Amino acid sequence: MLNTELCACGSGLRGIRCCGADFTAVPDATSLEILNPKAVEATNLFNEKNFRDAEALALKILDIAPNQRAALRVLFEIRRAENKPGVAEVLARRLASIPAESNAVAAAAQLHLAQMLVAQSRHADAEPAAQAAVKLSPRDANTHHVMGVVLTETGQVHAGERHYRTAMRLLGRDDGTVLANLAWNLKLQGRLDEAAGIYEQALANRPDNPRGIGGFAQVEAGRGRLPQAMVLLDQALATWPNDRTLRLLRALADLQDEQFDAVIARLNGPLEGLMPPELAARGQAAQRLGHITDAVAAFATAKQMQRERYGQRYEPAAFLQKAEACKAFFTADQMLNLPRAASGDGPQPVFLLGFARSGTSLLEQMLAKLPGFAAADGLAPVSALVSMATKLAANGAGADYPQVLANIAVGDGQMIPSQLREQYMANLSIAGVIQPDTKFIIDRAPDNHWHLGLIKLLFPDAPVIHLLRHPLDIMLSNFGQDRRLEANCGVSMVATARHYDVSMSMIKHYRGQLALRYLPVRYEPLVSDPLAVLQNIVKFIGAAPVKLPSKAALRINAFQPSPRIPAHVAVQQPLHERGAYRYRAYEAALPQLFNEVRPILEGWIEALGYGASV
Amino acid sequence: MSGQAILSSEEPLKPGQQRVALSDVISQISSMEQQNRLDEAENLASRVLAAVPEHPHVLHLSGIVLYRKGKIDEAIARMEKSIALAPNVALYPRNMCEIYRGAGRLDDAVASGKRAIELAPDDSRAYFNLALIHYERLELEESVRICDRALALDPNFAEAHFERAEALLLGGNMAEGWESYEWRFKLKQAEGMLPKTDKPQWDGTPLPAGKLLLVADQGFGDCIQFGRLIPWAAKIAPAPVLACSGDLTPILRQIPGIGRMVTRWELTGDFDAYIPLSGLPRLAKIAPGNVPLGEGYLTPNPELVAHWGAQLDRLVPKGKRRIALVWAGRPTHKNDKKRTLKLAQFAPLLAREDIAVVTVQKGEQITQVGSYYGNAPLINLGPDIADFADTMAILKNVERLVTIDTSVAHVAGACGIPASIVLPYAPDWRWLLGRDDTPWYQSVRLFRQQRPYEWGDVMERVARSLDT
Repeated sequence: MLNTELCACGSGLRGIRCCGADFTAVPDATSLEILNPKAVEATNLFNEKNFRDAEALALKILDIAPNQRAALRVLFEIRRAENKPGVAEVLARRLASIPAESNAVAAAAQLHLAQMLVAQSRHADAEPAAQAAVKLSPRDANTHHVMGVVLTETGQVHAGERHYRTAMRLLGRDDGTVLANLAWNLKLQGRLDEAAGIYEQALANRPDNPRGIGGFAQVEAGRGRLPQAMVLLDQALATWPNDRTLRLLRALADLQDEQFDAVIARLNGPLEGLMPPELAARGQAAQRLGHITDAVAAFATAKQMQRERYGQRYEPAAFLQKAEACKAFFTADQMLNLPRAASGDGPQPVFLLGFARSGTSLLEQMLAKLPGFAAADGLAPVSALVSMATKLAANGAGADYPQVLANIAVGDGQMIPSQLREQYMANLSIAGVIQPDTKFIIDRAPDNHWHLGLIKLLFPDAPVIHLLRHPLDIMLSNFGQDRRLEANCGVSMVATARHYDVSMSMIKHYRGQLALRYLPVRYEPLVSDPLAVLQNIVKFIGAAPVKLPSKAALRINAFQPSPRIPAHVAVQQPLHERGAYRYRAYEAALPQLFNEVRPILEGWIEALGYGASV
Repeated sequence: MSGQAILSSEEPLKPGQQRVALSDVISQISSMEQQNRLDEAENLASRVLAAVPEHPHVLHLSGIVLYRKGKIDEAIARMEKSIALAPNVALYPRNMCEIYRGAGRLDDAVASGKRAIELAPDDSRAYFNLALIHYERLELEESVRICDRALALDPNFAEAHFERAEALLLGGNMAEGWESYEWRFKLKQAEGMLPKTDKPQWDGTPLPAGKLLLVADQGFGDCIQFGRLIPWAAKIAPAPVLACSGDLTPILRQIPGIGRMVTRWELTGDFDAYIPLSGLPRLAKIAPGNVPLGEGYLTPNPELVAHWGAQLDRLVPKGKRRIALVWAGRPTHKNDKKRTLKLAQFAPLLAREDIAVVTVQKGEQITQVGSYYGNAPLINLGPDIADFADTMAILKNVERLVTIDTSVAHVAGACGIPASIVLPYAPDWRWLLGRDDTPWYQSVRLFRQQRPYEWGDVMERVARSLDT
């Protein structure tokens, strides 16, 4: 009885010739040669755009030999053209996994897979395939280019830069796309002047690159050259009037230029017709015009769209589990038994804590401009040490982090905190953060609050500065942003409030169980009297007296140009107090706005001293 | 049976239900309460009350359960109701008296206590409960008088003897107080504190070297406080063996005259007599005027002092006065509820611009640090403190310790380190009455509650005292 059931993946093949096939039982290379003429015919039909016959022939060939590469390739191209990403991925993975007659063929299959995943913005998923492609074909510029994209977009910017530069060397000529990608990489590293130079080269080589122009405009804006950015975007929009990314960037330039009506005019029409980042920009413009109801409508539509159209959900489970594990392990009693890293002479890290939109990047930006201070810019976070810590401490026996750290109390484990500390400093050096005159490194990695226990083992006396802000202002500010936050908690104000509670509870636990050198700093005085706050912080850190900028310079946020600009603050704005207690105006206009989050946040509002009297 | 509904007798039974005798259920609630199965007891009691809402004894029992769960207002409401329903049951006002005391309603407590005695003039426990209230109100003579009434009914009532001792000692009547104080080892909670031996308790007469066993009994604070009398004992019975817990060894080994220290009973060796440290004041006839070594008798280890000094230099912001703080005691202490505070209650101190607070708090209560976002920088040193040797060395590096009445207060006093101790209205006997100093420790200043259970003005005074 013939099994005719089609494969559930949607390839069109029978299951036993597709996902259910036994690939140890397929024909070998010699036997496959019999099918070669038919495979050539299928490829030709495909190239002649006779897709129906090409598909039929490919299916027949694959029913005989599920590993016939050319037929598989034809079927893959057809399914991809049909916009069936699921089955296309299955076929691409199969092409990458079946034995190939040469490394070049194998590399091409891996590269296809990687490129397909990159096109879906699944950069982390693409990493293994990109790596395989580079290893199979190390002299191929394309493999290095794709590897560069994958690394850059997964936060490994320095490694990404190296692969882009290798790709260019192998090409032996300028390539507009590679150059533009390299420039974006440099932008992410905060190397804005270099990025601008490369963008000019890239666009001269390949002017028809709207993404490149958009990136260049962002670099220009970051360098304080807003008019030039606007000219670039206007010219590009003349060529590509329907490009929504360019339109959004142009609107954001207007927003920065405080042309709020212009923002709304550019991003006009019914809210449902806009995308979340556009809605965020439009809402922010409305906010600045004092149109609170319009702003909330835009923000709320964006959040609803994220949930309903893009199916995004708050996913706290893994984080709640992590919180439980950290709370159970990092106790005062446990920590008393664990060795600490030996203190080093080099630069000293200063860790910033704070929920998204609490002012950590503002403070980092201000501190990074003081002599002797450098911003780590999330390039080498403590969280990156967790897998190394787990490996070092595991000692043969399998255990999970953080429980595995119990092993460092035993034998050679005593050395592990020092090793991890050295690795942390080495990562910062590689990232170019540490300069000869660097004395303090500002580490504002957004997940620092999870790692205070590890930080205590590595840097027992490191200053920990916690940015506090009225929780309702934090909710409001995140409500108006289109950013991806931990556990996807930005999808609704309630989710943000819940996750705020998770994060704050974690910090509360660590503060109770660890002897931390902890300083709470409030956002509100930071924007109203930055000089006093900075003085206090510098004193707390124990830095030798530094000459602080004048009040006026602080206010316009323009003192001491820094050689590196943290990527996330590439757009610098004058300091303002608009965000302090902004929630009040919103609550006055829309009394129900915080109804759902107040019960979640009440305890924190009280504990932080933002209670009734404020 | 806990899964079944409790029915009033009028209701017909439904399938699967059975009628149970109320007396059985009541004794079940009672035994759950005694086994500390409070959730189950509350649950069962509320199901019974749904059927018999006016049953005075169920109301009373459930009140006790609620009280023990910290639901004081509900507890009082139920127990008052039970008294209204059954005004002549002596047990109710007797227990009510204790609940009112716990709730800080001392006038109501006195009234209840008197009513209980009225209803049961032969009940020694009713007298004892009333004596406790008089102590709380600092009516010490009355407390002693009522204890005597209880003891007339039941001469071996250890708790009444002990309460009498505390009232006498607090009032400064030391000689008589020490005699009653001897009853402390008959208390239930004193079990296991003394060695199992047929040797006599020491009477203060000379013994050969190494033949006296000293026992570091009771709390750490007591051991430090009475440890000063070890040199006195060693003059009469040289080189005594000291049995103490490992936590205390780093401290007590500094005291001269000790022959050997042991941490396990089987290591004590052969001895002729034993004496708990808390028995020494009686033998030495200690009174407020003759307390030895009030200037201090412990010295922190200089290396540790240097280590913690460097640590504090790193952790405490420059230019701030360092004030050490302890706000909670050992939760198993019998008066912990009365003495233990919340960190936030030190608000007037924490509001000062000129200080940094160095908390040397240990134990579960350190979690409160996590909720502190106040003005004064707070350095939570507790987690890094391994033992009392660390605590002593840290205190040497601060200007002053502010603390509740707990062991760290004694550590500071015994080191001659300035300390401010905040005390409840009716303090432990050792702090005596009506003075802001103490013969036990010259470096200590006392801050007493002016009214029972009110800490607000105490904290204000502590904070202001830093100005002088």
